[in-house]
Amino acid sequence: MNARILALAAALAAFARPPEATAQTERLAGRLDERTRAAVEAIVDSVRGAGVPGDPLVNKALEGASKGADGARIVAAVRALATNLARARAALGAGATEPELVAGAAALRAGASAVFLERLRADFPREPLVVPLAVMADLVARGVQPDTAAQSVLTLVKAGVREADLVAFRQSVERDIALGAPAGAAATARAASAGGLATTGVPSIAGQTPHPRKP
Amino acid sequence: MHGSAEDPLIARVAAELRRRPPAPPDFEARVMAAVRRLPPSLPARAWTWLREPRTLAVSPLGGLAAAAGLAALVIVGAWAATRSPAAGGAARVAAAPAAARDTHTLVTFVFMAPGARTVTVAGDFDGWDRVQMPMRRDASGLWTLDVPLPPGRYQYAFVVDGRRFVADPAAPRAVGDDFGQPTSVVTVAAGATRAGRGSL
Amino acid sequence: MNQDVSDGVLVRRVLEGDTEAFAGLVTRHRERGLRFAAGMLGDRADAEEALQDAFVRAYRGLRSCREPDRFGAWFLRILVNRCRTRRAGRRRRDGLFVRDEAALERAASRPAGDPDWREEIDRALVRLDALQREAFLLKHVEGLEYQEMAGLTGARIPALKMRVKRACDHLRVLLQEVNDARVG
Repeated sequence: MNARILALAAALAAFARPPEATAQTERLAGRLDERTRAAVEAIVDSVRGAGVPGDPLVNKALEGASKGADGARIVAAVRALATNLARARAALGAGATEPELVAGAAALRAGASAVFLERLRADFPREPLVVPLAVMADLVARGVQPDTAAQSVLTLVKAGVREADLVAFRQSVERDIALGAPAGAAATARAASAGGLATTGVPSIAGQTPHPRKP
Repeated sequence: MHGSAEDPLIARVAAELRRRPPAPPDFEARVMAAVRRLPPSLPARAWTWLREPRTLAVSPLGGLAAAAGLAALVIVGAWAATRSPAAGGAARVAAAPAAARDTHTLVTFVFMAPGARTVTVAGDFDGWDRVQMPMRRDASGLWTLDVPLPPGRYQYAFVVDGRRFVADPAAPRAVGDDFGQPTSVVTVAAGATRAGRGSL
Repeated sequence: MNQDVSDGVLVRRVLEGDTEAFAGLVTRHRERGLRFAAGMLGDRADAEEALQDAFVRAYRGLRSCREPDRFGAWFLRILVNRCRTRRAGRRRRDGLFVRDEAALERAASRPAGDPDWREEIDRALVRLDALQREAFLLKHVEGLEYQEMAGLTGARIPALKMRVKRACDHLRVLLQEVNDARVG
């Protein structure tokens, strides 16, 4: 293609972006070279229609920039995150908040299935899912198998534990692993004992009663 | 370029446009009022920090001590920091306006690094900038920083001496690592801000 | 008070937690900001709002100002975007160019026999294509170089030069008569 046409197309493309899109990727100015920046902006634009928020993608690009990664690696990471955010959006629904999508993308990356996310959402349509999703990802990062991590979290959530107890659960598992327990066994054992907390009638993650399927 | 630079009409138009009437006298006051309502130097975004129920325990650099194993401590509710306010940092955070208090949770980052000259926090909440969030050091080489954050899940790392990224040994790791360096994660629950201290 | 303190110093102070230092940056850059926004939006109240909005955004995103000593240029970029967003918002709400037409009506409501030079200019500016107006203001009123304008707007230099040229041509057509009457 003629270089002049390319330049014109690039100039036109730059102004075809809506102002709010430009504002969103403003933060990339000066941090990325022009080509990488254009590639990241293209990814942000291409997934916006699918309900994927741009800020997490920009954060990922900035992380790469700060850590001195080259443009290709940054673009690959942003693309991977965009894919997972889109999958999280599809599984968690149109009402999912940005933190939920980010936590969902982390869980998917950790090996959770879309079914895990869909099940969480179906069982708890009105509760924020950031903590269960985050705990699942954190457990996998410590060595628990994805299926075991997902199953443990689901068990606890269905049993009606509070967000704080999910956190405590994760900490207990981490401590057990640090002390030498096999990751999977630690998760399963702690889930079983933590699940027992929910029968005390304290306010649960699913609402004001321990019953998870409150309408 | 054309002669429009020397065009007397254009020059007159430009001169006239440069002579705009001044800003209203209360303009600064209005801007600063809006600015003071924001959390200090942070974007207002819906992220969540995880409220940890235990008191702070320090894990030494490079290892997860058996007695520790905690993520970043989060202080919910009251903004008066548990640590004595050092110059700057903690004291300023404690003076944050009431509106921010309802939506933000104070997170205390802790890092043991007696040999470091500077340590900063870089993460999703500050555009991964390596210099903007310096931590303060005490006599024993313990570095800390209080950060108010809205609910959400954040990746972050400590930057030692402006160059080296180090994951928080006391925090969960991010799964996989995109850029060849491990990253830590902190999650803040939306529900945490409604709980009183010590109840989580 | 703030005369001796550079933008870079003020920015760094704000980032270290001295919120009030930001007021110094506001004082230093508000006139030029208002000048641009008023020229761009054609409406004084709109311009003040856009400018205030831009300052608040600048504060929030201050850590991404990579060259604190060039805060002015970085801030102008934010302001340019704020003005574009406001125009886009107007168009979405009111239909294409309706608001610009309203500004035109305001400017035209003075009796025809009252040749106020400023108003003629305002009237003419409003009739320019928005991107041409923006480029004209940045080049001839703010005195930026094309290289700076490219960095600010994301457009290529040839495109910017074309916009400025067209803006000048259009302004000449709109204002020559009035100008001749004044000078003559």
